[in-house]
Amino acid sequence: MTARPGVRRRAPWGSGARAPWDWTRVLLGGWGVLVLVFLFLPIAVIVGYSFNTGRLLGAFTGFGPDAYVRAFQNATIVGAVRTSLVTGALASLVATVLGTLGGLALARARPGALWASALTALLAVTLVTPEIMDAVSLLPWLVTLGTDGGLVLLNDGLVRLVVAHTSVALATVTFVVRARLAGLDRSLEEAAADLGATPWRRFTQVTLPLAAPAVLAGALLAFTLSLDNTIVSSFVQVPGSTPWPVYVLGSLRTGLRPEVAAVSTVLLALTLAALAGVGWVLRRSAPQAEGETELLRALA
Amino acid sequence: MTLRRRPGVEARADHAALAAFPLWAWLAFFVVVPLGLVAWYSLGQKPSLFSPVAVTTPSLDRYAEVLSPVFLTTFWATLRIGVTGTLLCLLVAVPFAYWLAVLVPARRRPLLLALVLVPFWTNFLVRTIGWQVILAKQGLLYEVLSFLHLMGPGDEVGILYTRAAVQLGVVYNYLPLMILPLYVAFERTDPRLREAGRDLGAGRLRTFLTVTLPQAAPGVAAGCLLVFVPLMGDYLTASVLGGADGIMAGQLVAQQFGAANDWALGSAMAFTLMGLVLATVLVVGALGLVGRGMVRRVRRVEPAPRGGAG
Repeated sequence: MTARPGVRRRAPWGSGARAPWDWTRVLLGGWGVLVLVFLFLPIAVIVGYSFNTGRLLGAFTGFGPDAYVRAFQNATIVGAVRTSLVTGALASLVATVLGTLGGLALARARPGALWASALTALLAVTLVTPEIMDAVSLLPWLVTLGTDGGLVLLNDGLVRLVVAHTSVALATVTFVVRARLAGLDRSLEEAAADLGATPWRRFTQVTLPLAAPAVLAGALLAFTLSLDNTIVSSFVQVPGSTPWPVYVLGSLRTGLRPEVAAVSTVLLALTLAALAGVGWVLRRSAPQAEGETELLRALA
Repeated sequence: MTLRRRPGVEARADHAALAAFPLWAWLAFFVVVPLGLVAWYSLGQKPSLFSPVAVTTPSLDRYAEVLSPVFLTTFWATLRIGVTGTLLCLLVAVPFAYWLAVLVPARRRPLLLALVLVPFWTNFLVRTIGWQVILAKQGLLYEVLSFLHLMGPGDEVGILYTRAAVQLGVVYNYLPLMILPLYVAFERTDPRLREAGRDLGAGRLRTFLTVTLPQAAPGVAAGCLLVFVPLMGDYLTASVLGGADGIMAGQLVAQQFGAANDWALGSAMAFTLMGLVLATVLVVGALGLVGRGMVRRVRRVEPAPRGGAG
């Protein structure tokens, strides 16, 4: 009967109480720290090597901000970053409009509506299609439309990138918005309808404000998906409007320079600042539902 | 006034279908049609040196070509990297997600979760280049090891441009996709069930394996899917870290649409890759369901896990 008191002494899991020498807890905590270090290791390396004064990224010769100065003087690099940011903004805008309408429609569809199940299935297919598949299917189609079909607009590099990035981001935006609206009470919309609000007023004054955190989160996700997109971009891009990741991909062959690390560090800092800002807004506007957790729910 | 509510609700259902129309149109025009086009191409051939594809007499010849030993070895290697990578991600992420969702005090969780997400917001390619800098022959790892006198001046780190480097790279790149759904799943598990398990005398490991993990099964399935599917199509990691030794199927496809300019063979490769991914997911999913059924049959005395682990 010596085991019984032992059971009593152990702290209940997740209660936050700490037993004096809890080896499982210590080991798991150590593992947690190790995994976080693992996750941050290459990023720390990139940030560190962005201060490399040498000509090649991998060979650290000295510490200094030279790479930052050179990067901002390099017209190709600045142009590539600008292309990425403009593409990200436009693709995020288109994907958010289409995805918000789609997510709204899915959340408000009659249960068991055939079109809703078909649309969900189609979006799920785009979500699980390997990116290389999106790339190789979009390239011939854009070429066909642009040269044989006479849609000259699609020969423009920026338009091609926006089309590609929108297609990649649509499913994510739609599912995030749907998840938010499906969890909300419909009675507010019905009340507005009863009070005589037109569908348009109902949409702009009731539904949209309710969906706002998810719309914002979806837009942000679409923007980062676009900024990160390398594979599809490298296929559909037209010389002259090369986005930043494709420039990096190209410089893998010609030799990586510290400028790549410098620009990546700046972009990471900007992204984190934007995320912190959005997180702050979300927390202020909807303290009961955190944007982050919502995103995770949508992902899972 | 209330009598007019019924038609209003009906009309709203129609509005819903209407609101989804732009999404439909976009998906049809930029996703479905291109996929159909590539499916059609995969039945064709490369007519001449300068022409990428022609479908004069549809045939399955390109698929036969893909299944020839030259390409098939790469497909098997890709599958091995994919399955091993998914299992390694699972192995790393389960204890980590459990720690984060159950053991870490609730007020510190959002910060740690944000830290897990940071690699997500760094460019995929740039993260991988970070590993290239670390693993290079005379890279950071070499510097650290020489500093610790574990390596002499004549030694080299021989990891970069091997399959092992690709394996490490994919585990790194897709780990957050495993951690997130597992975290959500563990966070949703009921602490009272764990306490009940422990009150009934089960040890920690047994409580975890028989109570907590079955509750988190949907998260495990979602995580494996989120990691395995994009990993199989990945070609960036292998391009940066793999060299000629660690080539993956995604690179084969890219080559056909790039330098080789053979869209017929490339399309057939892309569909073979998708088929391989789908087949693996279905087989593993079926095995998982059978396994779960058998475990449940053996342990029938125990109460069924809450929330349905499907």
